[in-house]
Amino acid sequence: MLLSRRQLVVGAGSTVTLAVVAGRATRAAAAPGATFAVPRSPEVDLVDHVLARCGFGAAPGERERVRNLAARSDEAVDRWIDEQLAPGDEQPELRRSLGRLDSLEQPVGELYEWKPEVVLRELSSAALLRAAGSRWQLREVMVDFWSDHFNIDASKGECAWLKAADDRDVIRRHALGRFRDLVRASALSPAMLWYLDGRTNRRATASERPNENYARELLELHTLGADGGYAQTDVMEAARCLTGWTVRDRHRFRKGRVEFDPALHDDGEKHVLGGRIPAGGGARDLDALLDVATAHPATARHLATKLCRRFIGDEPPASAVDAVAVAFRNSGGDVRTTLRALFRTDSFRSPAARRTKMKRPFQLVASALRTTGARTDGGAPLLAALRSMGQSPFQYPTPEGAPDVARAWSGTLLWRWRLAMGLAEGTLSGSSLDVPGLVCRAGGIEGLAAHLLGRSPHLAERAVLARSASPLGVLLASPAFQRC
Amino acid sequence: MPALTLAGVPDDDRVLVTVFLRGGADGLALVPPVHDDGYRRARPRLGVPPSQALRLDGPFGLAPELAELHPWFLEGHLAVVHAVGSDDDSRSHFVAQELMERGGTGAAGGWLGRWLRARATSGALTAVATGPEVPDSLRGAPSATALGGLTELSTGPAWSDLCASLAGLYAGDAQLGRPARDALDAADRMGKLHADGVHPEHGARYPSAAEGDVAEAFGRQLAQLAALIRARVGLVTACVDLAGWDSHFAQETIVAPRMRALACGLSAFATDLGPALARTSVVVMSEFGRRVGENASLGTDHGRGSVMLVLGGGTPGGMHCRWRGLDDDVLEGPGDLPVVHDYRDVLEAVLRRHGTIDPRSIFPGHVPAPLAV
Repeated sequence: MLLSRRQLVVGAGSTVTLAVVAGRATRAAAAPGATFAVPRSPEVDLVDHVLARCGFGAAPGERERVRNLAARSDEAVDRWIDEQLAPGDEQPELRRSLGRLDSLEQPVGELYEWKPEVVLRELSSAALLRAAGSRWQLREVMVDFWSDHFNIDASKGECAWLKAADDRDVIRRHALGRFRDLVRASALSPAMLWYLDGRTNRRATASERPNENYARELLELHTLGADGGYAQTDVMEAARCLTGWTVRDRHRFRKGRVEFDPALHDDGEKHVLGGRIPAGGGARDLDALLDVATAHPATARHLATKLCRRFIGDEPPASAVDAVAVAFRNSGGDVRTTLRALFRTDSFRSPAARRTKMKRPFQLVASALRTTGARTDGGAPLLAALRSMGQSPFQYPTPEGAPDVARAWSGTLLWRWRLAMGLAEGTLSGSSLDVPGLVCRAGGIEGLAAHLLGRSPHLAERAVLARSASPLGVLLASPAFQRC
Repeated sequence: MPALTLAGVPDDDRVLVTVFLRGGADGLALVPPVHDDGYRRARPRLGVPPSQALRLDGPFGLAPELAELHPWFLEGHLAVVHAVGSDDDSRSHFVAQELMERGGTGAAGGWLGRWLRARATSGALTAVATGPEVPDSLRGAPSATALGGLTELSTGPAWSDLCASLAGLYAGDAQLGRPARDALDAADRMGKLHADGVHPEHGARYPSAAEGDVAEAFGRQLAQLAALIRARVGLVTACVDLAGWDSHFAQETIVAPRMRALACGLSAFATDLGPALARTSVVVMSEFGRRVGENASLGTDHGRGSVMLVLGGGTPGGMHCRWRGLDDDVLEGPGDLPVVHDYRDVLEAVLRRHGTIDPRSIFPGHVPAPLAV
């Protein structure tokens, strides 16, 4: 469904337009027809900061709802964080649009009934729909974070099917849970066993060499970190611990099932990270290894650094990293406790931190949809835009996941601008928005600017907006909107 | 008046293209030492029989999948360096790639970024990445643009209006001001190029979709690059990625299609450039090679030394390696081909033909051992 700007203007609010669009698309966020409050201050306030940094931006009307949670805005933000850390059901509209993505709720074995490209497309669309439309924004941000931390490129082997199960049963299920549970689920995720070759890691005879791929990334990326103080021998010993775990491929009965074959396991004694794992442990070697790796102080530090980089800034201050690492360690790797500690740091709450983090392409697309209240099917044109910006969901080729610092993305401006123009001009099929209605509900062009930027527009911005033929396009492409 | 090189081409018209084989490409698959007994012992199932390899020099042959590159070698346009790599022995993709793209420890930015800075070159299309991302080697460059695809850029009045508005908004932005200027400039130039289209010359035939997605995508990027080079838009360096060489499992299915993509793509590129190949250097590199012995899943694990290729740009060609065989006392660590030649010595030899400045500023801390490539 392609709507020109003119059609949108003519049809705004008419039942004809809405009925046609609503057939396939869903509104990215609840957007009542009434006017909504926009920021009045030239500085970004705490509520807008949290909605931008811990979510994908303020949907129309959302900042008012959060602000009304308590008398003081810092208390309101605390309430919102509490709410977000205990997510409930999705709203019916989002559930309906996710329900149209047929493949996603299938058990592992049934996923193979779909073409792999269909599963990947539906999974990618679902990620966009949820990021843009879910009321449980913090969970979606953490899903995005963990999807990179435990990166799986769906283009490898059977991952195109299995990543859908990994997203549901590993990443989403444990996104706000315990890190140890998340790592264990990931270690035994059929998609991960494919992606990092764990399924071929075997040592049936003394002369066979284990496949070190997963063991290395487990230590280097998932737990201790590259400078976490492990040695090549730790990698090789960890690989021995994990021999024998495999997954049935699609040519076999019960495809996608994860199994442990004792005959392929190296059951001798192992020495990993200074600890001894006695001989005869069999499948339990996995847990012994994960106990050591997840409880290692370097793991707390590695996770704290990455979380602070995501929520505070590209170069987070050591004090914040320390505080978050302590919370991680003291809580035994509880994600909720760790996040609460992070959101309490001065570095996170400081006005100096606001709008300093460059949105990654996925954040940009999701926030453009969410803040404008666009109707979208999360479909092909948006995924193509993400591809041109170098962040196709679930297709980052190497295990470290997509980068989380501005310099990695500063070469993507051209493609960001093209997306902004496409959305504002209504040339992206499957996504549409009522531009005149949005302007009207925000109280005019400057109100819309304040809504999208989280503060009242500067003099220079006002001057440019006054001249432009497409103020919404300019706003979405502006430097301020590239940041959260 | 720009300085003239030996070839009589102004420095500023020379283009350095790096092709990074991400994932650790197996040098022993690309350029197998087929006449080395140790090789045949270590690769009983994965090894290339001597009869199938194309003759290079000494014990070395070229993999049959790289056949399209053989004529370039025979004509002296292609140099092959074996047992080459970095001094990083982490065997980690990320650490090794990072180090190689940085150009040594203790240096800021990427080696191409430092080189461009030292040359004091700037402009939106000075440095491009043909893929959607700018690689770390260009970090710190005065400008670097990810092209994604030439044809994706639209033109028209709405776009022009948007660009005019954005020029003002981004002008004062400390972080994004320069990338924005580069993007605007690139949009302008690409718009002009887009109007003309990409048309390979000199009978060049890039891989089609029938030859696989990997080959098609790689060839498409090179065809676009050739068009840019011909258009003389001010390009100084370009980075191309050919990823997916991490062949822990069933190596043949992973490496063979990529070798074919590499050879067909580069051969078409060299043909397409015609006389411009004399002013265009292509360097092919990877973060490390693979273990000499094959593993139980018909693959190879992370190793050390690999292969680098230098095509065009005035290279004398030839095979370059101080080969010491593959006996146990030669191998390193868990059984890896040792790094005999440092990758920076290859890069330095190429940079010299691109009007380089003091190489010590590009690769600080590196003691050169020049290679005639």
